Amino acid sequence: MARDTSEAAPGSSVTRRVRRTVLIGAAVAAVVVATAPFQLDIYTKNILIRAFFLAALAMTVDVLWGYTGILTFGQSAFFGIGAYACALVATHYGFGPFWFAGSFLLALLAAVAVAWLIGWLAFYHGASPLYASIVTLALPIVLVQLIFAGGRFTGSSSGISAFPTYYWAFETWFWIAGGYLIAVTALGYLLVSSDFGRLLVAIRENEERCAYLGIPVSRIKILLMMAAGAIGAGAGFGYAAFTNVVAPELGGFLLGTELLIFTALGGRGTLIGPVLGTIGIDVTASYLSGSLPFLWKLITGVAFVVVIVLLPQGLIPILGKGLRRLWPFPRAAARDAVVLRGFEPTTPHGETRSAPLRTADLLRHYGSLKVLDGIAIESRGSELLSIVGPNGAGKTTLMRCISDGGERSGGEVYVNGTEIGRGSPQSVVALGIGRSFQNTNLFETLTVGECLMLARWRIDGASLFSRRNEVALPTPALGILEATGLDKALGTETRNLSHGQKRGLELAMVLATEPSVLLLDEPTAGLTKAERTAIGSVLTSLARVHGLSILLIEHDLDFVRDISDRIVVLHQGALLMEGTVEEVIASDLVKAVYSGQAVETAS
Amino acid sequence: MANLALDMITTSAILFVVASGLMIILGVMKLINFAHGAFLTLGGYAAYLTTEAGLSPWLAPLLAGAVGFGVGIVVERVIVRPLYHRPLDAILATWGLGIIIGQLITIGFGREVQFAASPMTGTLDLGGIEYSAYRLTLTAVALAIGGALTALLYLTRFGLNARAVIMNETLARGLGIDSARVRLLTFGLGAGLACGAGALITPLLSVDPNMGLPWLVNSFMLVLVSGVSIPSLALASLILGSAQVAVSSYISPIIGGLTIVVLAAVLLRLYPKGLGRGT
Repeated sequence: MARDTSEAAPGSSVTRRVRRTVLIGAAVAAVVVATAPFQLDIYTKNILIRAFFLAALAMTVDVLWGYTGILTFGQSAFFGIGAYACALVATHYGFGPFWFAGSFLLALLAAVAVAWLIGWLAFYHGASPLYASIVTLALPIVLVQLIFAGGRFTGSSSGISAFPTYYWAFETWFWIAGGYLIAVTALGYLLVSSDFGRLLVAIRENEERCAYLGIPVSRIKILLMMAAGAIGAGAGFGYAAFTNVVAPELGGFLLGTELLIFTALGGRGTLIGPVLGTIGIDVTASYLSGSLPFLWKLITGVAFVVVIVLLPQGLIPILGKGLRRLWPFPRAAARDAVVLRGFEPTTPHGETRSAPLRTADLLRHYGSLKVLDGIAIESRGSELLSIVGPNGAGKTTLMRCISDGGERSGGEVYVNGTEIGRGSPQSVVALGIGRSFQNTNLFETLTVGECLMLARWRIDGASLFSRRNEVALPTPALGILEATGLDKALGTETRNLSHGQKRGLELAMVLATEPSVLLLDEPTAGLTKAERTAIGSVLTSLARVHGLSILLIEHDLDFVRDISDRIVVLHQGALLMEGTVEEVIASDLVKAVYSGQAVETAS
Repeated sequence: MANLALDMITTSAILFVVASGLMIILGVMKLINFAHGAFLTLGGYAAYLTTEAGLSPWLAPLLAGAVGFGVGIVVERVIVRPLYHRPLDAILATWGLGIIIGQLITIGFGREVQFAASPMTGTLDLGGIEYSAYRLTLTAVALAIGGALTALLYLTRFGLNARAVIMNETLARGLGIDSARVRLLTFGLGAGLACGAGALITPLLSVDPNMGLPWLVNSFMLVLVSGVSIPSLALASLILGSAQVAVSSYISPIIGGLTIVVLAAVLLRLYPKGLGRGT
């Protein structure tokens, strides 16, 4: 809910609070880790050290899956890469401080390289989320088979053991493992609580929409994968150096799925849940698997299914809720409202050398069905160009072909003089296109303020480890927020907005990206007369005052007549007519089309 | 050479049989049944029990199919139905189900490898080439299953409803098709096919609680490459199965085991919609 804005003073109170939480959490954890070895027996220490390394790995699974929505089966592969880097170098090349550090570096580099390859394969614009899962599923399978194929060198199926390593005391290893876990978890927590963390959630909720806000989704996912891979490899390296045994299972598919089980049971998207879940489950498993080996696994399987079906949030959040009921401490809400600041955008007025938008011979066909057939349109700056035509005329397809280079079957699209090529939506956005959608598909669990911040990502960026508390918006975007009352609801999650507010936010977000060409697909659908009028006057001022070139799809011909400078009529994928409002309204051809008579297309 | 060609054809046929249950479920329900491997294992143990009980090994696939259908019906009601709108979670829940089935089998039968009797042994003489009679029979069975599934989809009322649900579930429901029932029966059918396939492949292999896992991964890849269509599944099985046999015999059996996974990942990158779409 909207909070008192005075709380979000400069320097971002949210950032400060998150940092304080992390600091306190890490300090408490550090005290526990520092003193625990003196209370525990060797067996428990041994189990916990392994559990700490696995928990660090599970933490990366949660960032990828819980936050960003990438269902990965392959995070174990990075663990295996780290473990084998340690074992192989020590066995075959040499051992000593230099070799040890070198092999650690090698582990990280190898993991980053593999993660890049996987990311490049799995994340491209238009890839289905399932495909990423397939690639991450293939990765550990390939890795294990390569280890098998390595024969003597990799120890094949029996792995490598008794390679030289540091036989430090159990306490030392406990501190190393615990320290590593605390460090990477703190880092992960800062990341997911930052502006960048909100971006990850936005990608999970609506990847398509992110791309149309100019956010390079694929690149972000690849980078995230690389970071997660490096952390996983570091954990695997520590695990191998401590246990002095590596086996192909460390990089296998089964461990990959177990990580998902740990994450789901602990509570995906909570970061702490998966870490605690992994430690809890792994330790219990080690104690129980001695006496009840098969039964324990059966219980895990049942618990996993029950949690997925009935409690998708996992167990830790439920525990947390229970605790909170017993001891109601204030909730550390990291979701304060932001402060908006308006600025006057630089108008693209003077530079009228090339048309803001021009299409030449634009084609789109599905098989033999031609949806767009040789469309040539040109828009001017400071102009409101309406595209009308009956259902199925190809209006939305036209917008799609303009805003995504991968969509059209032929022809050219020039944005501010540059041909868009086969560019993804975010590259087209970078050229100056802003597109709003017919349906109001926003980011359900993000607040209005977060959505606006997201829309400014392309221009203002997002900090990796902190939260901003101020969003700078161009005045037209601010104007729309004020007109729809959204400036008073910055802390509201978008799913709780009214339809009119959603449309307003949608438009404000597009304007926040500071486009020079605005593509609007039925911006007034389902709005009241008053809202319509408000949007209409905003649009005309955008064109007249701010010099934008606006392309508008509308069914409401009265609305079109009131605000348009020029009208283009599409019919069955072809350009039927183009002209001023008066010309088009008076045209018999257009009347015939709308009344459903057969018309010879003018092409 | 002729032997290699026969290996390719029969391997492809086996892959087709194993993957068909997964494809039926994916097609109608748009979800990936990661318990598929466990159903195969269940079928393997059904075959083992059948032959242990002294019944004819020919009965094993049929009994296994019946068991699979029954288990599938229950699973659909209890686990799959609540996850219909969370497809990625359905993958996980069915994977968890696979763990449960695997552990129950382990508790019941132990982890050791068991053998089921083969319905036929020896070789057939194909104009001078001796080839495993059972593998040839499996090829015929694959053709029969392909034919039967096609007939089911195109000649029966259930098939018509199922195709309607495949194409547009909302509209199908609007037309009065009980899509919940279609899904229930489909999951039962898919599970039954998987168990039957598990029983069919056991004479070639041994039975153990994890026997289904490698098959699960390969079937998953095959089905995604093929898309939802019986002929294209046959085509995908033929391409990937042949490649696997070729790589195994000319390069190394270990790399051969990877062929399907790697090739499928690459094919899907090039043709994201699979082979079956657009035909």
